[in-house]
Amino acid sequence: MTIIPDLKYAKSHEWVKEEGGIATVGITDFAQDALGDVVFINLPEAGDEVVAGESFGDVESVKAVSDLVSPVSGIVKAVNEELIDAPEMLNSDPYGAWIIKVEQVTDREELLDADDYEALCAEEG
Amino acid sequence: MIERLLVCRSGGYSPYENLALEEALLNRVGKGEMILYLWQNERTVVIGKNQNPWKECRTALLSEEGGHLARRLSGGGAVFHDLGNLNFTFLMSAEDYDLPRQLTVLEKACQSLGIPAQRSGRNDLLAEGRKFSGNAFYSHAGKSYHHGTLMVDVDMENVQRYLSPSKAKLAAKGVDSVRSRVVNLKEFVPELTIERLSEALIAALAEVYAVGGGVLDASNLSMTGTHGLSRTPAPTQIHPLRTLSPDEFDLHDLVAKYASDAWLYGLKLPFTLSVEDRFPWGGVELQLDVNEGVVRTAKVYTDAMDDTLAPRVEAVLSGCAFRGEALKSALAGICLPAEQEGQLVSLLETAL
Repeated sequence: MTIIPDLKYAKSHEWVKEEGGIATVGITDFAQDALGDVVFINLPEAGDEVVAGESFGDVESVKAVSDLVSPVSGIVKAVNEELIDAPEMLNSDPYGAWIIKVEQVTDREELLDADDYEALCAEEG
Repeated sequence: MIERLLVCRSGGYSPYENLALEEALLNRVGKGEMILYLWQNERTVVIGKNQNPWKECRTALLSEEGGHLARRLSGGGAVFHDLGNLNFTFLMSAEDYDLPRQLTVLEKACQSLGIPAQRSGRNDLLAEGRKFSGNAFYSHAGKSYHHGTLMVDVDMENVQRYLSPSKAKLAAKGVDSVRSRVVNLKEFVPELTIERLSEALIAALAEVYAVGGGVLDASNLSMTGTHGLSRTPAPTQIHPLRTLSPDEFDLHDLVAKYASDAWLYGLKLPFTLSVEDRFPWGGVELQLDVNEGVVRTAKVYTDAMDDTLAPRVEAVLSGCAFRGEALKSALAGICLPAEQEGQLVSLLETAL
């Protein structure tokens, strides 16, 4: 399982990269592995508000429909529309297949660094 | 760890009320609890969370014959329910979710009745290679459910009719159903009833989890239009009996959600469909872009002599709700000759 050193991680298995006031959010390798093959994604739209700890969309995999939980509060600046036609990218490249970019970030879930996230995954393994 | 078992049996056959109760039970289920919910829908096509209703189901035919279209929270494909089908739902905390163990309950129940059940690779249960149970899954806010159908004596002709492919050419996103060869359990056990199967499931649950529990009595829930259904006494295997007060569940808002056009038809799943036919006055092709249940743009291609026909039809269909009645009255608004109007209505209806 891959964990990228310079990202931050939510306990609900999303990764966050904050750069220049923009938080980019995706799901982790652990999350995609637990989900199984993703067949569909429901995305928010640019301009929508997201709230830390609350659902901002969902993914359907062969195993379940599951919430996507936002690690930050803010306004959606962009969504990765490529995922609509190719949701399987979440499986093949979880850290490349970002889901949303959030601006005007006002609040964050408790975020873990790579080492703590690795420990969490080992525990949930 | 599951320490308490609860059984809940719905008293009604409305899919909207039953799906509402299922969601209320998910909200209600506590840590260490497992709820087995048993329910039946009258004549209903239930589609998966991310499916296009017009692609999966002959919605106009279904509603003409008094059936219901419903959309569930879980993923997967379209299924047909009637009173020959029993639905089960296992609800629990996400940490107590154990699919193999839940499937063992189903298998043990089948074995006790003499049904040769096997798991398939596709979340289904098979008997002699044919599917009698389709399973789907949902997870939200730390809680999960696993539910599915059990076909005992379903009207197979209706399965074919309501779930047949659309005659329209349809380019849609969303999840497609996978066709399977299905079978009724009555073929293996002719004397099988819904009641016997329900009892076998409850007994198998108690055996597999081997802990005490109770029976949730949902038959008095504050639901509108609930049909009476005689209750079964709690099976003796599950002790001590614990009954949750039905008043705990206020289903009003959830029922309204499941029955709403917005939930059933209004999903943000844009699609394009086209239907064509030839009439004495010319050939016509209608091409509609639909999103959130509304026709966004309509294009009409025709070799009819009347060159005002195409722009007039396009104008009334654009912005119209993509529902039989709405489309019909929109077309009536342009005062076409009665015969021509009827032909265009029938053409549109082939897409519904």
